[in-house]
Amino acid sequence: MKMFRKSVFRLSVIALTTALFSGSAVADVQTQGISDNEIRIGAFGPFGGPVYLYGKLVMNGVAAVFDEVNEAGGVHGRKLTLVREDDNCKPEGSIAAVKKLAYSEKVFAIVGGACSNATLASVPELEKSGMPMVINSAVADAISTPVKKNIYTTQLTSSIESRAQLDYALNKGAKKIAVVRMTDAWAMARYNPLMAYAKKKGVNFIANLELQIDAPDATPQALKLKAAGADAIIFILYAKPAAVMMRDALKLGYNPEWIGETAINDFAAFQKQVGIPGALKNFATITAIAYQPTDPEMKSWATRLKKLFPNDELSTFNLNGIGSAQVMVEALTNAGRDLTRDKFLSAMGNIKDFESDAYAGKITCDHPRSHQCNQTPGWLALRDGKIVRLD
Amino acid sequence: MEMFSYLMATGISTGALYALVALGLVVVYKATSVVNFAHGEMFMLGGFLAFTFHVMLGWQYMVSLVLAVVGSFVLGIGVDRVAFRPLMQRQTLVSVLLCMVGLSFFLKGLARHLWGGKGDYLTFPPLVSPEPMQFGGIMIMSQQLVVLVACGIVMAVFMVFFKLTRAGRFMQATADNPKAARLVGLRVDRVYMMTFGVGAAVAGAAGVLMAPLTLLYPDMGFMLFIKGFAAAVLGGLTSIPGALLGGFLIGIIEQMAAGYIHTGLQEVAAFIIIMVVMIFRPTGLLGGSRRRKV
Repeated sequence: MKMFRKSVFRLSVIALTTALFSGSAVADVQTQGISDNEIRIGAFGPFGGPVYLYGKLVMNGVAAVFDEVNEAGGVHGRKLTLVREDDNCKPEGSIAAVKKLAYSEKVFAIVGGACSNATLASVPELEKSGMPMVINSAVADAISTPVKKNIYTTQLTSSIESRAQLDYALNKGAKKIAVVRMTDAWAMARYNPLMAYAKKKGVNFIANLELQIDAPDATPQALKLKAAGADAIIFILYAKPAAVMMRDALKLGYNPEWIGETAINDFAAFQKQVGIPGALKNFATITAIAYQPTDPEMKSWATRLKKLFPNDELSTFNLNGIGSAQVMVEALTNAGRDLTRDKFLSAMGNIKDFESDAYAGKITCDHPRSHQCNQTPGWLALRDGKIVRLD
Repeated sequence: MEMFSYLMATGISTGALYALVALGLVVVYKATSVVNFAHGEMFMLGGFLAFTFHVMLGWQYMVSLVLAVVGSFVLGIGVDRVAFRPLMQRQTLVSVLLCMVGLSFFLKGLARHLWGGKGDYLTFPPLVSPEPMQFGGIMIMSQQLVVLVACGIVMAVFMVFFKLTRAGRFMQATADNPKAARLVGLRVDRVYMMTFGVGAAVAGAAGVLMAPLTLLYPDMGFMLFIKGFAAAVLGGLTSIPGALLGGFLIGIIEQMAAGYIHTGLQEVAAFIIIMVVMIFRPTGLLGGSRRRKV
């Protein structure tokens, strides 16, 4: 009996100790990356390679917001520190980046995720770590749908854009719609939802053409589109191939409705890239961003960015970072001084009708129904020589 | 017929660019037996240098063009002094090739650092009116005509350089037999240096000419290097006329394949043709195996 009591006592001590330690471990995880005067926020994306713009430049935008917040005293007295990790836009890179940020750098949360495929690969690791994540560039729906407890996105997702593109063409009364697309993972994440939506709407594309990102010429595509008599062309292209496509179509005197997406949302830059005066008369594009980098409303951000990164001119990539960082700061502020992961995630889920300096639409995170917080595609077009918002 | 004419015209103008890139590659290869894997980046830097002089500093186009070509020439010499010469002195050709690959990454990174914060694709104002013009019944971009004419001039200059100048003859002699060239008193190291400089200058000139059409971005060099290399291989890596022929053929083939078969073939058609040609003629269309007289 004595032995039994001793064993029970020992087991109780062990159980109590384990409970205490695990409790403190939970508490540690909940407040990881937070000190009295600092909150460490991670970011990952490519620093180099062809898509560094979606990593490095977006992060520079985030850094600009953190700089502004810190200048004003921080969030509840804590300064924000950005810890950057390069994922090289590769799945293995993003998994390593998440692990490093979570377990080595011990940041509180992450804002970033540039490349869809890479970010998608890191989702299991993100879920395992429980680290709050705010996506700001990657557009693949599968990252945030179905809902994951700790992952939110402030970027328009690919299916939202694809549906909006087709709706725009139909609203314009287009009868012969064509699509010109790249064939990489980024493009396929848009193309597949577009095809599914077209099927649902009973639309058959009159031409379905490929154009590679580096193509110096698109004359064959232009000739085929013209021969098919397409009256609206949906782009699933980066700005460079889209500019080449339009230039070569205009060369043939062919100028139907051109429908772009957020990869072509720097309208002024795109106008220069196409290079032919009046070329964008029939062009409209989706934007997640409310302003053009040269708009007077963006002057203070341009100045701040220049101060931090003298080589940079404000671009829509920076503005994506600015918008997402402002959403994150809003949630951090709403979570209060006694910040924990759960409080932050709860604050993210409760964000409603938040107006950032950058995004075209209000940000609403409809937890638990949807963590896709940006549902409002803005539209840009040229009217009387001026860039205007159509929405 | 209209479609054929358009595709042919575009194929020729695009092919002229590939030919120019191939020309620079062949010049270096003939003299040094090294494929300069950083050649595309020299093309890219030529464009960015011209952008800096013309757009950022507001200097005249011709001045910017000349300075960009001179800058590329200096860069080529730098490549010889920093990468090629020290490694070749140890007779390690593989090391030189790997060094060239590393150099291409370094130059891309440098370009991203220097010009990368200014947007995704930088625009370079065209030398002529951006409006298309009618030429022989078909519409063509004025800048494409400029590229075509300028490529012709550059090629002609090079032909004259190799045939009629002492430096050109030295380069040819060194290419044919470096040991013999050294024995007769040629300063082979200096010829190599000149070769890298001239190859880079050609790349720089091509970069400036094409910048208004292709737009500028740090990764633009790789695609053009691949196309130029393919053109050089198709024509024969040791043949300058072969490089030119290969360039034009690739330009035309990819247009025809995309126009008449499938747009997805635009990027790969030329490579399929090259595979076939290599099976039947491994030295390329105009490349011959070196003969030795005993």
